[in-house]
Amino acid sequence: MTKRILLYATLTLGAFVAVFPYLLVLLTALKTQGQLNSTEPWVPGLPPTAANLTKLLGGEFPRYLLNTVVMTTLLTLGQLVFTTFAAYAFARLRFRGREVLFWLYVATMMVPSAVTMIPLFLIMRELGLVNTWYGLLAPYILGTPYGIFLMRQFFRGLPAGLEEAARIDGAGPLKILTRILLPLCRPAIGTLTIITVISSWNSFIWPLIITSGDDTKVMTVALATLNSGIGVDHNLIMAGGLIALVPMVAIFIFFQKYIVRSVVLTGLK
Amino acid sequence: MRRRGRDWHAYLFIGPSLLGVLAFLLLPMVIVFVLSFFHWELLSPPAFAGLDNYRRLAGDGDSWHSLGITVVYVLLCIPLQTVLALVLALLLNQRIKGVKVFRSLFVVPWMATPIVMGLVWNWIFDPRDGAINSALAVIGVTGPDWLSDAAWALPAVALVNVWQYTGYNMLFFLAGLQGIPQELYDAAATDGATPRQRFWRVTLPLLNPTMFFVMVTNLIGAFQVFDTVFVMTDGGPSQSTEVINFKIFGTAFREFDFGYASTLSMLLFAVILAVTLVQVRFFGKRTTYDMS
Repeated sequence: MTKRILLYATLTLGAFVAVFPYLLVLLTALKTQGQLNSTEPWVPGLPPTAANLTKLLGGEFPRYLLNTVVMTTLLTLGQLVFTTFAAYAFARLRFRGREVLFWLYVATMMVPSAVTMIPLFLIMRELGLVNTWYGLLAPYILGTPYGIFLMRQFFRGLPAGLEEAARIDGAGPLKILTRILLPLCRPAIGTLTIITVISSWNSFIWPLIITSGDDTKVMTVALATLNSGIGVDHNLIMAGGLIALVPMVAIFIFFQKYIVRSVVLTGLK
Repeated sequence: MRRRGRDWHAYLFIGPSLLGVLAFLLLPMVIVFVLSFFHWELLSPPAFAGLDNYRRLAGDGDSWHSLGITVVYVLLCIPLQTVLALVLALLLNQRIKGVKVFRSLFVVPWMATPIVMGLVWNWIFDPRDGAINSALAVIGVTGPDWLSDAAWALPAVALVNVWQYTGYNMLFFLAGLQGIPQELYDAAATDGATPRQRFWRVTLPLLNPTMFFVMVTNLIGAFQVFDTVFVMTDGGPSQSTEVINFKIFGTAFREFDFGYASTLSMLLFAVILAVTLVQVRFFGKRTTYDMS
């Protein structure tokens, strides 16, 4: 019993530390400019106001949110398909150049993106993709080394003899992947989906560099615009941050149900 | 014959990602490497400089200082963050009430938009009426000036990153833990293994692939820390948080010295590559689990 109480006390304390900064976001988003100046960040402004939220939602912000939704959806679909295929090949198929190629993928994560963004922009300009949806999506929609690395590790963690029986029955690699391996990888796919959705949703530097018009402007870029110039409106930024967060929490809650033990695997011997 | 058939499938499967990696990741990287031998102020065309930038790097105390700070930052962050994430994952891998709620709450920090979180953490670290020092005052402790104190600014930045990424890493450990067959625990229990033995002999070895991923990617990320420094301290006070990636950013986009920024990027690349290779050897040596 004491053990249980200790466990919940630890978890509650941890959860409080995790969420406290967001409490400030929430409280600030519901304050007027006057209340922001007269109260501590952790004291609620009374009465709370929805003015910041309605001001944002009444303006162009929903349009940028919609752009973000489109970008996130396409990147996630692309990532799930291409990453899974590539990771499967790297983890469970034998082919010449496998290790070299894989480590080449990983090596591309080791150079700071702030620096590679300039050449990447120049490449996009050569391809005529600046300020287009293609330019925005192209670098990430074919799968990322990060996601491939993640999925490769999970595929490798599956027992070695899994494919043998299917192969004897004449199943090809595609069938083995979709019928045998993927059902066992639900926790990994759930994780990959969550991290792809959320990192696409929050991606900032590349959209900032490659897009300029309203047609392709995303939420993060719009938020950054609020944070520049004279008379920065903290309430409005916090309201934007809050609006951006809510769908992500919903997505997480939805997909975390896949991060549970897969029944089939425990039945294996 | 069969082997060639498998080759063909494999290349087809990695094809799309290979196209993306070559065109949008590797090519820019090669260009950066080439530019590290050039002077380029972005507006005028690049001029070949031979080893000038590398010679400059050898005598550039500021940049080595930045690299040193980065190493300190990595040491502050990674061990703490990894251990916390693993502990959280183990706690939340049990069948207890509210487990889903706790999981969600712990991952929330990672969903932060940097701009928003920069503002909030600056309030929290405010030396006079920030949340931390106000809380410390209650128990009679006078807190430091945090972000404007050269001794505390880097630990503060590290703390924010630990806050942001612990729950995120917990996700990978959770997914890894879900993949460990229950039979192994049952067998260990039958053999009379204590919980501690089960952790060291079953859980940890079987988490090896997950741990490898978490360590390699986190170290890559930590050596390139940038966002938090950018929104919280801007490298200060007196360069105490000027980590190498921030230095690179400043060299490229404030001093417009893109050639030298490329050279610094190559230095960082070399360091990260070395650290990664050490991990490949370390994790490669440890026995990996094979069920067959």
